[in-house]
Amino acid sequence: MIERKQVIPGDVITRGDFQWGSYIEKRGDEFIALRVGLAEVGREGVKLNPLSGPYLPHPEDQVIGKVVDINGFGWVVDINSSFDGFLPASFVFGREFSPSTHDLTTKFGVGDIIGARIESSERSRDPQLSIRGHGFGKIDRGEIVKISPTKVPRLIGRRGSMINLISERTGCDVKVGQNGVVVVSGPPEAVGRAVNVIKMVEEAAHSADLMGRVDQYLGGVEDGA
Amino acid sequence: MSMKKNYVVETIRKTQMLELLASGQRLDGRTPEQHRPITLKVGVIQKANGSASVTLGNSEVLAGVKVATGTPFPDTPDKGLLVVNAEILPLSSPYAEPGPPSEDAIELARVVDRGIRESEMVDLTKLCLIPGKTVYTVFVDVNVMNVDGNLFDAMSYAVVAALRSAKMKKFIVKDDKVEATDEMVPIPVEKIPVSVTLARIGESLVVDPNAEEEGAMDMRITITTDDEGNVCASQKGEAAGITPEHVLQAADTSIMVGKEIRKTIIEATK
Amino acid sequence: MEGSRMEPKKKLIDAAGNRLDGRKWDELRPIRLEVGTVKNADGSAYIEWGKNKIMVAVYGPKEVHPKHQVLPDRALLRARYHMAPFSVDDRKNPAPSRREIEISKVTREALVPAVIVEDYPRTAIEVWIEVLQSDGGSRVAGITAASLALADAGINMRDLVVGCSCGIVDGQVVSDLDDTEDKEGQGDMPVAIMPNLNQVTLLQVDGIYSREQFQKAFELAIAKGREIYAMQREALAKKYFGGEAMTVQAEEEVSE
Repeated sequence: MIERKQVIPGDVITRGDFQWGSYIEKRGDEFIALRVGLAEVGREGVKLNPLSGPYLPHPEDQVIGKVVDINGFGWVVDINSSFDGFLPASFVFGREFSPSTHDLTTKFGVGDIIGARIESSERSRDPQLSIRGHGFGKIDRGEIVKISPTKVPRLIGRRGSMINLISERTGCDVKVGQNGVVVVSGPPEAVGRAVNVIKMVEEAAHSADLMGRVDQYLGGVEDGA
Repeated sequence: MSMKKNYVVETIRKTQMLELLASGQRLDGRTPEQHRPITLKVGVIQKANGSASVTLGNSEVLAGVKVATGTPFPDTPDKGLLVVNAEILPLSSPYAEPGPPSEDAIELARVVDRGIRESEMVDLTKLCLIPGKTVYTVFVDVNVMNVDGNLFDAMSYAVVAALRSAKMKKFIVKDDKVEATDEMVPIPVEKIPVSVTLARIGESLVVDPNAEEEGAMDMRITITTDDEGNVCASQKGEAAGITPEHVLQAADTSIMVGKEIRKTIIEATK
Repeated sequence: MEGSRMEPKKKLIDAAGNRLDGRKWDELRPIRLEVGTVKNADGSAYIEWGKNKIMVAVYGPKEVHPKHQVLPDRALLRARYHMAPFSVDDRKNPAPSRREIEISKVTREALVPAVIVEDYPRTAIEVWIEVLQSDGGSRVAGITAASLALADAGINMRDLVVGCSCGIVDGQVVSDLDDTEDKEGQGDMPVAIMPNLNQVTLLQVDGIYSREQFQKAFELAIAKGREIYAMQREALAKKYFGGEAMTVQAEEEVSE
């Protein structure tokens, strides 16, 4: 059996001997919730899916950020976290980068939206970003939607099932950053539908049959059309 | 790293904004002359003599009026005191900070104050009790609760509505002394000034810019008009010029939009 | 100021044991709590408690400015209790008074024990408490709403914090003093607790209490705090679980 429970900080999720995940503190034999969220107790242990909270960067995370400043050595990128990310110019221009010969603004300007990967994130310094790899770099079109970073796993779904369903049914390209920034592109009316369904996922993230609701929403609109 | 960031508009949004404006449309679906929905509630703070909570889109302000008695300014011995003050609370935005009022908060309060004062909304001569000695002092304090652009107009509507709905204790003069009575009377309000702010984005002027539009504007102009369609106060803001044609266009728009908003204020303060 | 407290001009509790507003000695004033009330904030809450109307917003964890205040191993929690000029009978100067500065400090010290500040090193968590209209017990009302705003911001917390003030009026221990009882009564004792951890995180006392009265008022404040804690839970459930009472469900585990 898997037991699901709505919890707030300080609640005892369960007692006993279990493995436990993030946002949970063990006190004696009690497992205490540290966030508002949905707790699960099952064979795999005690888990808490929070329903609100900040984005904390981890290496290899894929994020969508906004360039907010440029200095001689790289771009300062707002990644919706406590600290701005930094994309070093040498990661973009290569090892031969020199502040005197390369103009950073030719690549990205203030206000540009970029897809990036968290290269490193240590407690003592600001997170470093990289755009190496497929699908990273400037995103030059689309509608920006911001959702709570804690709800990104729900939007992606098990092995991408939710996001695939949304993109297939609407015909939109949906880029999801783990920091809660989503960019949707496609024909205007399709973008509108995709944005609405993303907002619905965010609002109903606590509901058990989220996939069914999304399926119905997207199916229903199609039938009516 | 950089100091506290200011709001930076995404390039994609700005491009979309400019494309739409070229055909007279805005990102949130408004026309260039259209203001955001206004909600206006009066009497929300019982301890104040008058109060009003205003939302203009997602911008939210709360004005409270406090009336007392005090000494007049030496140069206006026969006039009551009216002071308009604004606090952009740190709770209202990630970019606001606690501490003494910023340059922005002071400009905000002074521009709103100018509209109220110059329109002669409140007859200050009726607020005099003993010339040169005792007058009514009317403080209007405004708390900015959530920032989403165009605080000038939101604050102005809140101040006007709070003053219109205020009731103050009546004082009388007896043997050259001021005495409080139990009677509550309205503040002598004569007119309804309405502030309308426009932003220039690209080549277009738009009414009531939200935060995103303010992030993309290079010039702002606030024009306050009275019930008869007279211009009574104005402030051009931001470090860019404006053509004389645009100033006159802004005046026409402010008079037109102001009429409609005046009805909303009257309705809410009946 | 406390020293100049005058003997009550009028009785604050009548022969039948009713207080001026009709409450019995151990009753609370009406309380309304709402979570998610400031759109720009990371977390927020609004409380109406008696005539108190207080808005709280939380921002963070965010970068610390000025930099020299950075704590290398934990978050810096800032709390500001501030009163709007129109929140009191006579207009208050908007600059923070000594009273507001002290309340800000004890508020911070009441909230920090519940926040796992070690999880957010080098950051600032800001708690802005704005009293829009003030009545007795505004500091405990501010703390009660602030802990909801922190939970709404999704900051890791060991427990919520909830407050209630008790005191002595007409020589009797009573709960939840209003403005008049605070001014004309003989003592006020604001208390905040972490209800699950059973810890007191705010305690201030003024007035004269016998040993028995002290215990009675203190224990009453804790008991009343627990009643308000139930309202805090409801307010969070309303925002996050769609208004339904918090549920527990069980279903067959599906293996992957």
